[in-house]
This record gives sequence, C-alpha cells and structure tokens, in this order.
Amino acid sequence: MPVTQKDLMIKPKDALLKGHFACAGCGSALAFRHAIGSVADKAVLVVPASCASVYQGSGKGVAFNVPTINTAFAASDAVASGISRALKKKGKDDLKVIVWGGDGSAADIGIATEIGACDRQENILHVMYSNNVYGNTGGQRSGDTMIGARTATTPKGNTTPRKMVPFIMMANNARYVATASAAFLEDFVEKFQKALSLEGFKFIQIDISCPPNWRADSAHSIEISRLGVQTGIWPLFEWDRETNTAVLSRPGKKYGDKANRKPISDWTSLQGRFRGITNEELIALDEDTERQWNFLRKFM
Amino acid sequence: MVVKQETKSMTGNDAASYAALFAKPDVIAAYPITPQTTIVENLSRFVDEGKLEAEFIIVESEHSALAACMGAAWSGVRTFTATSSQGLLYMAENVFWTGYGRLPIIMPVVNRCLAPGWNIWPDFQDSMAFRDAGWIQMYTKNNQEVFDTTLQAFKITESKDIALPSMPCLDGFVISHTTGQVDLPDPEDAFEFVGPYDDPVIELDVENPWAYGSMTGPDQYSKHRRDLMVAMDRAKKKIIDVHKEFEEYFGRSYGNGLIEPYGDDEADLTLVTLGTIGDEAHEAIDRLKAEGHSVNALRVRTFRPFPVEDIVEFAKKNHKLVVIDRAVSFGHEGPLRIEVEAILKRHNVDTSVSGKIMGLGGEDVPYSAIMDLVKKELKE
Repeated sequence: MPVTQKDLMIKPKDALLKGHFACAGCGSALAFRHAIGSVADKAVLVVPASCASVYQGSGKGVAFNVPTINTAFAASDAVASGISRALKKKGKDDLKVIVWGGDGSAADIGIATEIGACDRQENILHVMYSNNVYGNTGGQRSGDTMIGARTATTPKGNTTPRKMVPFIMMANNARYVATASAAFLEDFVEKFQKALSLEGFKFIQIDISCPPNWRADSAHSIEISRLGVQTGIWPLFEWDRETNTAVLSRPGKKYGDKANRKPISDWTSLQGRFRGITNEELIALDEDTERQWNFLRKFM
Repeated sequence: MVVKQETKSMTGNDAASYAALFAKPDVIAAYPITPQTTIVENLSRFVDEGKLEAEFIIVESEHSALAACMGAAWSGVRTFTATSSQGLLYMAENVFWTGYGRLPIIMPVVNRCLAPGWNIWPDFQDSMAFRDAGWIQMYTKNNQEVFDTTLQAFKITESKDIALPSMPCLDGFVISHTTGQVDLPDPEDAFEFVGPYDDPVIELDVENPWAYGSMTGPDQYSKHRRDLMVAMDRAKKKIIDVHKEFEEYFGRSYGNGLIEPYGDDEADLTLVTLGTIGDEAHEAIDRLKAEGHSVNALRVRTFRPFPVEDIVEFAKKNHKLVVIDRAVSFGHEGPLRIEVEAILKRHNVDTSVSGKIMGLGGEDVPYSAIMDLVKKELKE
C-alpha cells in the first residue's frame, strides 16, 4: 500500500517525544519520528554509537518512546540478532527488531557485524541513516563520505569514492535492500513497512541532511535532500532477493536518465562542506555518481 | 539428601557443556577458538540432536558472540557462550558492557596465554586482563569443579539481587582437553537445582518502554558503578550460599566456595594458588609433609569478588604465604600476589608474603617444581 502524506499525519504512537537532542534541521530525527511511529507498539530499537545515541536524550528524559538498547559501535546487528532469536524462542516474534544507526557503524566499524547478521538471515531491519560523516564526533570522514567533501579529517577534500553499502548487502543475499531520502518520507515509510513485513535481513539506507557537519542552513535541510535525488547523487531504488531486480522508486525514477538531472553544483552549493570544491573534484564526484548508477543498472 | 549421580569420564570442556545442557539456556552464541571450541561444538550437537531446545547463533566473531548473548539477556532469557584468549580480547568492549550493564550471561573462559608468539597453552593472562570488568570470576582445579562451578554460576548470576555475569575459568588443555572423572547428576536434578529463569533480571517490554545505556551524567553514572561495587560484595555471600545448597544437592564442596584451604590450619608455609596449580599443590604438600615439613595450601576459588575477609582470617593463623601466579602485571608482580599482599597490609596482618610466577604459556608446573619452590622459601 502506498503511503500518502495523510498517513504520515496519523501518529498511532508518537515515537519521538519532546526533549530530544537532535540539531535543528536533523533529517535523521525526522525520519525516525515517521518510520518508528508507523510501527506503533511493535518496535524494538537497537542503537549503535551514533547521533541517535545522543538525540534520544539522556537520563530519565529519554525521548524515544519504544524499547531502546544502546550498544557499542560495532555490536548493534549482533545484539539485534540475539534479541530477535530470544523473541522467537519466547513466541514474541511479532515484534520488529530494528537497528537505527549512522554511516560510521554501517559503512565502517560495524560492517562485519552487519554482513554477519545478513549472512545468517537474522530477522532484523537495519536502517542506515547517512550523513556521510562521523557526525557526533565532530565531522570526520567515513567510508560513506563523498568525493570533494571537506571533513575534519579531509580538510582539503575527500578523494576516494563512497563505499556502496546497499550493494554490499545485495551481494550478501539480504532479503530486501532499499535507499530512501528524508525529502520523500512517504516513499521511505512505505519501504520501511514493506521491509518489516518480510522475513530475514533487510537493509535501508536513507539520505539525511546534517546541517552542522554539512555547514548548511538548517532551513535548507529538506531542500538539500531533495536536490540529492534530483541531481542523481542519491539514486532511489528498492531491490528484492526474490526477483534480484532493482526498481527505481517513484520520486527518483526520472533521474535515472542523466538528461533529466539538475547539475550537481545545485546540490553542493548549498553546503559549506563543498566550499572551494574544484572542477576536477566535481567531475570526479559526477563520475562516482555515474559509477553507482551503472552498477544499479545491471540489476534493472 | 544427595541426589543420584553417575561417574563418567570426560574432558573439562565436556563437563562445561553438560552443565550448560542441564541448565537449558534459551540462546547460545558460538565462535570457535582453541581450546574452547569443543564446548560450543558439543552444544551445537545437543541442539541438532534435539536434546536442547535453544536458539544457536553461529556468529562471525567473538565480539558478536557476546553481543548476541547481550541482546538475548536484555530480552529476558537464559544465555550462554564460551571463549578463550584472543577471543576474549576481541570481545573486550562487550565484556565490560556486559559487566557494567549487569547482564546475566554465563561465559566459561578456557584459559590460554596471549600472542605473540602463537601458543595455545594455558596461563591466566587472558582472564586476568578482565578482572575489573564487573564479572564474577571463579577458577577451577579439575573437570568435576568445572561442571559444578558452571552450574552454580547460573544460580548466582541470575539472582535479581546479584545480576552480575559469570566467567568460570578452566586451564586450557590441563582441564579442557584432559579426560577425567566427573560425577554427573540426572539432567532433571541439575535443572531443579538451577531452576527456570522465569523472573528475569531485565526484560525489554513494548508496553512499558525503557531505554538502556543512554547518555548518563556523572551523578547517575557513579551511582551505577557504586551499585555494582555493592552487588559484588553481596555476591560473596551468594556464592557461599549457592555453594552450600549445591553441597546439599550433590554432596561436593570446595572450601566455602570462595577459598579452599588444604591441610593443617596452621603451618610454617602456605602455598596460595589459582586453578589447576592448586590441585598440583596438594600432591606437593602431601610429599613435603611426609618429609617432615610444616606446609599447607590455600586455593583462591573465587577471584572476583575477592574474598578479602576469608584470606585475611586464614593468613592470620599462618606465618609465610608463597603465592604462585600464572599471570603477570608487567612492571609489577603477579596479580594474585599483589592483591594478597595488599589486603594483609590493610588489615595489619604481619604474615610475610612472597611469590613466584610459574606456568606461563603452558610451562609445566609439576609438584616437584612446587616442592623445590617451597624448600627454597623455607630456607629464606
């Protein structure tokens, strides 16, 4: 069932209460509220070291209104595996075990744990929210950082291509893999619910804006995410193991054709992390973007 | 009345896996490492044969083995894993997370030295590195004690007033791969002793959501750690009580559960040991006494919580303690000696303490070597 804007207004349960610590314009907190809220009283959350371990709030004022287990950086998918198996043993496997973490854990330190859980076909969903940087440590390069981005550890611009985590999960036989964007929440929540309806290891990577680390105006948060899709930087697709086919999603479909895309500089120019980006870097970023599309086309 | 038991011959690792089988854990996570591997191999066979109804998670690393057990423990079920040496080091952050998080997990550590160089033989360097991780550590002397201690560990760890993970320690190969005599009870009797885990220490609940391990300020954090200190203190009595109850069920005991003295109450020299060297010391003591020497021994069975009062009381009656350590705090002494010496000083006991580091990397520690050490120390 397609999720409509009206559905997003209905809150069976407010998953993100007052008093959270998310920065103004945080795309991750926004995505959290709608996705986790949509599974009402069934969600069990596992959070690796990440912005989500901070923006959930502290002490007795925790704002996540679902059971939340904080784990070590690389431990989340294994902890989720243990929870999922224990719930199965107890006959409570109607509950949905969800890992909610950033790209530092999903692309780098926790990737072995993630592939391990995928390999075992654990019945969990991993949502990787991508701000392409180690956010709460002050903005260092991660494996998910784009070419040309100025980070705390690549002050002259990152030179290496992004790790393509969704493709890694496809290669490891995940049940379902999708990408999403905080600018298209209906699409995200639809994929989120579809993933949770399937048995096995599911993976969704969602592009979220990070105003402080992207040195962007928080008022531009959604606009930047939308431009990410419209410039082709962020392909929106879903892939199902049963069909081994990648399908472009409605909001991003036409950007599969390069002729329909806006120039990448529309997207970079709103973000201070790309200030001073050279033409050579823009070309390399464009080539890396095309590399991802070419990979994806093999499954279309 | 002591329950019926049957004498079997099995390795120490077999003994650990039988204890786990009889306690019926709901979730087991496993990753191979020598010399622990046969424990989880046995359990995977029990699960495959239908003898044990458990979720068996074959993980991709030790880090994930403990993490999976943590997830299961948070869900309110009985959990079990086992490891050794490099594997224990690889799961390090989760070892502390489990201890400081008060998660009721049972994890035998089959002691093996640390690389380099590659060496699979025993010493206690691995588990000693985790003495401050908030786990109960009990060192065993033989195969029978491995079974008994592992079974007791479930009952201690899963008590709501304790809620501390347990690490029964067994010397690699000397116990783990050596066949010995083990008196096994019927599974039903063993399970009756442990009891079902139906009143969990912690259990996630969607009706009443809580967050675990969120950001915690200094006040609350220090309170949690102080709670852990108090729980460790309470655990001493719990270990004694469970050990006593075990004796009533099965007719076996190891001192009071915290320390196990051997020989006369008072002697010119006392050997203080951990693990299998404690068993070997019995032979040395018997022979030395036959030669006319006044010697006895004290095996520290429970290293965490450290049985301060028991060791102090024993030391008061004796004259010279010689501590044998199978691990080193480099730049200082053996960890057991450091701690024994410190508590005697604090309690104004003037019994002298010396020590020797022996058995590193599987170096053999026969009774003859212990006798030589004692004779040398008696002359000094």
